[in-house]
This record gives sequence, C-alpha cells and structure tokens, in this order.
Amino acid sequence: MQPAIISVNHLHKHFKIYKHHRGALGALCNLFTREATTVRAVDGVSFTIQPGELVGYIGPNGAGKSTTLKMLTGLLTPTGGEIEVNGRVPWKQRRAHVAHIGAVFGQRTTLWWDLPVIESLDLLQYIYKIPPAQFQHNLDEFRTMLELDPFLNTPVRSLSLGQRMRADLCAALLHDPPLLFLDEPTIGLDVVAKERIRQFILHINRARGVTVILTTHDLADVEKLCERVMIIDYGRVLFDGRLESLRDRFGGQRELVVDMAEEYATVDVDGATVAAREATRVTYQFERNALSASDLIGRVSARYRIRDLMVREPNIEDTVRRIYEERLLDEE
Amino acid sequence: MYRRLVGANMRGQMQYRVAFLLDLVGTGIGTAAAFGTLALILQRFENIAGWTLAEIALLYGLVETAFGLMDMIFSGFDPGTFGQQVRRGTFDQMLLRPLGLTLQVFGSDFALRRLARIFQGAAVLGYALIAAGIRWTLLKVLFIPVVLASLVCFFGALFIVGATITFWTVESIEVVNIFTYGGVEMMSYPMEVYHPWLRRFFTFIIPGIFVNYYPALYLLDRPDPLHMPAFAPLLAPVVGGGMLLAALAFWNFGIRYYQSTGT
Ligand SMILES: Nc1ncnc2c1ncn2[C@@H]1O[C@H](COP(=O)(O)OP(=O)(O)OP(=O)(O)O)[C@@H](O)[C@H]1O
Ligand SMILES: [Mg+2]
Repeated sequence: MQPAIISVNHLHKHFKIYKHHRGALGALCNLFTREATTVRAVDGVSFTIQPGELVGYIGPNGAGKSTTLKMLTGLLTPTGGEIEVNGRVPWKQRRAHVAHIGAVFGQRTTLWWDLPVIESLDLLQYIYKIPPAQFQHNLDEFRTMLELDPFLNTPVRSLSLGQRMRADLCAALLHDPPLLFLDEPTIGLDVVAKERIRQFILHINRARGVTVILTTHDLADVEKLCERVMIIDYGRVLFDGRLESLRDRFGGQRELVVDMAEEYATVDVDGATVAAREATRVTYQFERNALSASDLIGRVSARYRIRDLMVREPNIEDTVRRIYEERLLDEE
Repeated sequence: MYRRLVGANMRGQMQYRVAFLLDLVGTGIGTAAAFGTLALILQRFENIAGWTLAEIALLYGLVETAFGLMDMIFSGFDPGTFGQQVRRGTFDQMLLRPLGLTLQVFGSDFALRRLARIFQGAAVLGYALIAAGIRWTLLKVLFIPVVLASLVCFFGALFIVGATITFWTVESIEVVNIFTYGGVEMMSYPMEVYHPWLRRFFTFIIPGIFVNYYPALYLLDRPDPLHMPAFAPLLAPVVGGGMLLAALAFWNFGIRYYQSTGT
C-alpha cells in the first residue's frame, strides 16, 4: 500500500466563546471578564486518506466539517492531535504546505475581487511559480472543461455564483496540486451548474489522479462522486466507509410499487406492509435483510395479477437524514 | 512579487476612475482647508507658543507628508479596511497562498488617492523649509529624509498595531483611530502647547515627540523647553525603526492568535 497522503490522528479543535457584553461599557467588560464556554468543533477525529481517493465529508450544520478542512489547509491550528498532509504539518510549514494543495471554500473566492478572471489567473502563475508551459497547458484544458471563455475578462465581483465557482476551481488547480480541498463546492448552484462541477471534479480525480476531499449538503454530490464517505457530527466521525455499506446498514425499507391488473379488496402479502394504495397502484415496504425483491414479487404474483412493477431503493437523502435525526450511529 | 501584487491592486483601483478622482480632489481640499485654517489663526495671533507660521508649517508639513506616504504604502494595514478584510475572509485567502503574509498585506492595497495629501504636505513642507529661516548645514539636509522615513515607520507601526488588534475585536477600531489620526493632528503643533501629561504620553507611551518635535527643534536651532538630553533629535530613526519592529513582532503574534481562533 502507498503511504497515506493525509493522516489525521485524534484531531481536536476547541473554540472558547467569551460571553459578550454589549455597548461601550460592555466592550470594556469584554476586556476583563473571561467567562468562556468551550465549543468542541472537532473532537477526536482520526482517519487516513490514500492518494487518488475522492472522499465526501458530510454532516449536519455545525458538525465541524469546515473546521476540519481549515486545519487540513493550515488556516487553523489544532487544539490537539496530529495532522500530516503530503508529509508536512500544515500549520507549522504553512508556505510549503499551501504550495502543494488546492483549496476552494465555497462561500468565498480566492480570486482578486476587482480584477478580470484572466488577470487573477496570471497572478497565480507568479505566486505559485508555475512554469509557463505547464500554466498554458492547464489553463487551456480547464478553460474548455469549465467553459471559462465567456467571462475570462469579467471582473470577479461581477461573476455569477456558478461562474465564480468554476473560476475558483480553475485557480485552485493551475499549479497541479496532488490534493484538492473543497468546502461546499456546489452550494447555491443550479442543477446544470452542479452537474458541470461534478463532472469536472470527477475528471481531475480520474484523469489527473488528484486526491479530493469535499464537504457538501447535497447528497447527490456524494452519490455521484464519492466512493468513500465520512459522516461527522458533534466533531466526531460517526461513519467512514463506502456509500453502499451505509445504505445496506441504514437504508431502512425498500419499496415495491405494483400496478395490479384490477382493484382487489385486500392486497396483503406476508413479509411486507402496504404503505400506500391508490386505485390499482399498491406500494409495499419490506426489509432488505428479511426478504429479497424477487421473493416478494413471487409472493405478490402468486395471489394477484400484476400489470407492471418497480423496485425502489431508499434514497440516500432519507438514509442520511435518518442518521442525523435519529442519531443512529451514536452508540458506536 | 510585491510589485506584481501592487500592480494588480492598482489595476483594480483604476476601474473606479471617477471615485478615485473625487477622492483625490476631496482629500486635497480637506488638507488644504486644514492648513488654511491654521494660517488664518496665526495671522491673528502671529505665533503659537513662540512658533511662527513657517515654523509650525515645518511640523505640519513633515507630519502630513509622512502620514500621506505611510497611508499609501501601508494602506493594506489600514485598521478600518483590514478589519473588514479579515471578516470577509480575504485574510484566509492570504493564508492559503505560498507567500509571506506581511508581503501580501502590503501588496493588497496601495492607495494612490493619498497622493493628494502627500503633495499638500510636501507643498507646506517646502514653504517651511524656505520661509522658516533654517540655517542650513549638510547634516540638516541629510536629516530631512531620515525624519520623513522615521515618521513613516512611526505611523506605519500604529497602523500595523491597529490592524493586529482587529484580530481580537473590531469594536476597538475607533479607539485605535483616535490614537493614529489624533496623533497626526497633535503632532502638527509644538509640544509645549500641551499639558505635561499629554507630553509624557507622547514621550513614553507613543513616543511621537522624537520623530517630529525634536527633529524640528534641531532643524530650527530652537532651544529645548522640555530639557531633554541634547541627542534627543537623533533618536528619530531609532524610535521610528524600533516602533516598526515592535509592531511587526506584535503582528506576528496576532497572526498566531488568529490561526488559533479563526473568525
Ligand atoms: N472561529 C470560530 N469561533 C468559534 N466557534 C466556531 C468558529 N468556527 C466554528 N465554530 C463553531 O464550531 C462548530 C463547527 O463549525 P463548522 O463551521 O466546522 O461546521 P460545519 O460542519 O462546516 O457546518 P456547515 O455545514 O453549517 O458549514 C460550530 O458550532 C461553530 O459555531
Ligand atoms: Mg461549513
């Protein structure tokens, strides 16, 4: 096995929030009183990531995703624990570290607000000391893939959200970093824009071998991109593994939707419950571990005449929502 | 690299050409009005604490020119805008680039519109140098750029300290600005007009007295009413440079604090 590109060990980040007094007198109080509550934004996270992986880092609001990413990119110093990225400790060797990563924090741009996109990119060429041939080659490739041409000469402040995200992605990758951090890369984008960004991420991961870690609230991102997903909440990793195994364990009930040839008075079968019934259309729910879809179809067709049917997998959205809400993973 | 960053910033500024020109004219009128008022007052009283208009113009011209220069060179550190930058995440963006942070902040803004203030200050300074009856020696000629540089370092240090404080709190910007801009105003007048505790403040806490008042005494061959050691005027570069170094140390400390707390 190759050495890990990222290894994180018992990572902690605690924020102290000082009680805030308001007003002018309050500001003075703030200087002297130290009533603090501690927020454990990241509370003992450990994982390793191999080169070439594409990992989804998900969790509800305030779970600690951005905080983890900020520590991995060297923006924040951990309270405790260790991080090694590309063999470096991010906050100790900031400049060497950031020269070898790309990072896009979705809500913020890394580009110069008042400059046309192309000038920002040119500036990055000097900042990262990118050889001209490599720069040109990368720029040409990203320009076509991300369709940057229509707004290359527009100042960044006038770009739409989707355009800005594409420009930011391009900017983050010009220096050929082996590693890319994306914090909510699809936030606020329309369906088409999201799809385009996903295609691009997939491409740079597959074709260029860039290791990618992304956080998102859109589980379609995870479904379409990530083989591995980590779920965190309250600063702890609740799940780390393949998406399918998450579905297998917590997928809950599958559904069989049947269009009967006629309306029956009762439509019960063993091992399944009737979840909905509407004229000749009946929806059964059944446990994936207790009964296979073909067995259930056999049982239904033994009793009733079927015109058409369809098996529905529980969608990942629901699965993850249940995990967040019911805290299914908490006991582990 | 600094040149490239500043160049980028200027191209950005040039996109707001009208705002730029208005600003230039505005500050120009502002400083002209300030000195005009002073001149009018002096016409009636002839002198302030024994200082003639031309002599006060020396204090004023040195401070204004240096502050204008500083405001242009250090505008990345302007506590007001820097505080906003931190909140807006621009500082995080700098942390993500493989360049020194101090260089990037310097390169993040170069306020050309301060040129108006610099020219005004330089005009007043020029008038003072001609009209104040200075008995010129080679040393004095060489001393003037040293004083200006010391003043730039001195005010730059105040800006850097102000910018650093915004890592902790943005609310205190007003207080910091009182020191910076108030200091500029006060240093434009001879120190003997102030109450002794204010003078002490400018001697021991924010030692502005050494970068402007004492050098002016030396240039004008005026006796020192405050009875400092005779080498006091020569402390200007020491004080200016020392303040700047101390401010940079505080700045680096502030960055470490920021990296441990975030915004
Ligand atoms: N600089 C900070 N100072 C104090 N508390 C902070 C700071 N940054 C984050 N927190 C707190 O730490 C916790 C984790 O925040 P974080 O931004 O990592 O969440 P997240 O998983 O990215 O959430 P979201 O999905 O909403 O972006 C939250 O409770 C947040 O309020
Ligand atoms: Mg976040």
